[in-house]
Amino acid sequence: MTAPDSSTAPPALEITNLRFRYPGGTDWIVDLASLRLGAAEQALLTGGSGVGKSTLLQLIAGLMEPSEGRINVAGRHIHALHGAARDQYRGRTIGMIFQTFNLLHGFSALENVMAAMMFSSIPRAEHRPRAEKLLTHLGIQRQNAQPSELSVGQQQRVAVARAVACDPVLVLADEPTASLDPENALAAMELIQQTCRERNAALLCVSHDPSMASRFQRRESLTALRTHSAATA
Amino acid sequence: MSDFTIILRSLRARLFSTVITCFTVAIAVGLMLVLLSMRDAGRQAFERGSGNMHLLVSRDQSPLVSILNGIFYAAAPRSPITYAEYDKISSMAPFEFCIPIQLGDSYEARWPAVATSAEFFTGFMPAPDTAWKFAQGRAFQQEMEIVLGAVVASSTGHKIGDKLVLTHGIAQSRRATDGEKDAVAPHVHNEFKYTVVGILAPTGTIHDRAVFTNLDSTWLIHAFDRREREEHAAGDDSHKHDDHDHADHDHDHDEPPMTLADIEMEDRKITTIYLRLPTRRGSDVSSSIGPVAAALVRDPSFNPPLTVASPVTEINKLFVIVGSVDQIFVAMAVVVMVSSGIGILLSLYNSMSERRRQIAVLRVLGCPQIRIFGLVITESAVIGAIGAVAGLAISIAGCWLVAGILKDRLGLVVQPAFTLDLTLFVLLGTVILAALAGVIPAILAYRTPVANNLKPIG
Repeated sequence: MTAPDSSTAPPALEITNLRFRYPGGTDWIVDLASLRLGAAEQALLTGGSGVGKSTLLQLIAGLMEPSEGRINVAGRHIHALHGAARDQYRGRTIGMIFQTFNLLHGFSALENVMAAMMFSSIPRAEHRPRAEKLLTHLGIQRQNAQPSELSVGQQQRVAVARAVACDPVLVLADEPTASLDPENALAAMELIQQTCRERNAALLCVSHDPSMASRFQRRESLTALRTHSAATA
Repeated sequence: MSDFTIILRSLRARLFSTVITCFTVAIAVGLMLVLLSMRDAGRQAFERGSGNMHLLVSRDQSPLVSILNGIFYAAAPRSPITYAEYDKISSMAPFEFCIPIQLGDSYEARWPAVATSAEFFTGFMPAPDTAWKFAQGRAFQQEMEIVLGAVVASSTGHKIGDKLVLTHGIAQSRRATDGEKDAVAPHVHNEFKYTVVGILAPTGTIHDRAVFTNLDSTWLIHAFDRREREEHAAGDDSHKHDDHDHADHDHDHDEPPMTLADIEMEDRKITTIYLRLPTRRGSDVSSSIGPVAAALVRDPSFNPPLTVASPVTEINKLFVIVGSVDQIFVAMAVVVMVSSGIGILLSLYNSMSERRRQIAVLRVLGCPQIRIFGLVITESAVIGAIGAVAGLAISIAGCWLVAGILKDRLGLVVQPAFTLDLTLFVLLGTVILAALAGVIPAILAYRTPVANNLKPIG
């Protein structure tokens, strides 16, 4: 997949009047007037526990249905897509990195990366060479090792490789350094940001770790955004 | 990396459960294939024994018993047919063969002795289009010559020229021990020594387990027994055999054996007649068999009436009776098959709690719900397919084992019929059943909430 030209491409993410609460609930879990993330832009979204950071990422990925509002990913209203179409769109345009990596157990590091390409339009013959090249670039030599045989740092790298394997427009990182000690956390965040830059992917990173703030030029507080007053562009 | 890789990894991740589930499916498939393939093979094995005869005549209480006794040597026929009656029957129609058989004696109280005419080896074929062949020697030509069936020869190790004695009566017959009037308890006739003159090649029929001699030989023994009974009845104690009891001792007399001249009319009895109607190439005699059988049964000159049986008809009747038992076995196999399907369901169902995270990750990576559904259904079908193939292997081995045992123990050649239709039906049925068993786990997988299952554990 060719990386989008950041000057002409639509915003990676555009959120308008987004609200979400669970069926039967009274409190809004997510209440966001506006949020826009340009192509290849990187932003840190902060907030304490329970302010709906992870829920927001699930909404952006189209894994949950918003109660109100609209989310455009790469210019497309993701919730207007249904079923397999939304799943495939997510697979092609969004990469996700999790706190616990969520690597597939029983699959090698190489297979974990190739799994991301299974549901994309990338020709099957390219899956293995692309995955091998990506893992090598990220410093993973034991590509046939199981995740459990790798160090935490190596697992993090495999997770990053999987997230960017399909050249997504947007990478969503949900507390990606929460499992790591401060030194490794900084290294991991550097890896994620650098990889996204190299592949022209926008990055929306959710974290409650204050030490990460210095690594992002753009920082948003979800608590502040909840008031409908802090829409930024 | 393909869907199949995901399925194989999933199966490997719970290897023990997968192996056990496949094994139960394999047992069910194997059992069903053995039952279905051996059912037809068993019938064919029975039909082989009746060879090319059209009718069997005896005085057994029913045609089916007549076939079991007259062809399969289940027990000694109860009431004899006189030789005069045999002569009359043989002259009633221009039969292709009308072979007299006397059953009731045995060798080592284990192998039935068939006293018959030379035509038994020239006219009667033990299996359709399969004539007798001698592995060694020749047919009997005179009294006190004996021919051994293939299994008898291999089991006893007898060779041409060996001497052996027969037991008057068959151990399996309970007539004497049941106190039946005129029944003869089994006893060995050491004074009549037979010489082995021929060993038959295997025929794959029950006849491989018999020994064959001519009628005169058996009638000599009958005459000998008759004379003893007469002497005892007359109070002659020259043998010092007061309270003579055949069952208590064996004969071992120094006196010379009987001669053919000693055989009287009442000794000349037979128990069974093998009949074959005249046939012409391309003609069908099946329509003539019924009228001939009816004429023999209704002939008032035969008193008590004869029992006339068509082997084909009686074997069909036998398998109708056996068929209900057979259906019970097939039903059991179906129950085992359904149980194994439930086993697949439980195996997959139980694995779902462990796989929710994997399913959620696949969804995040862009895997549509319907593809998740298909992956679980396919995984279930793969378990069924592995079990089905293993079951086919088990059934082939099982049939080979059963066929070997039947051949060794009963001399029956059973050739399991693994027809393509039958095999495909069972294998495809198993895969479909397994796929159906995966529907509930697949629905669970389809509905797996993604967000909840991506949260950090603990």
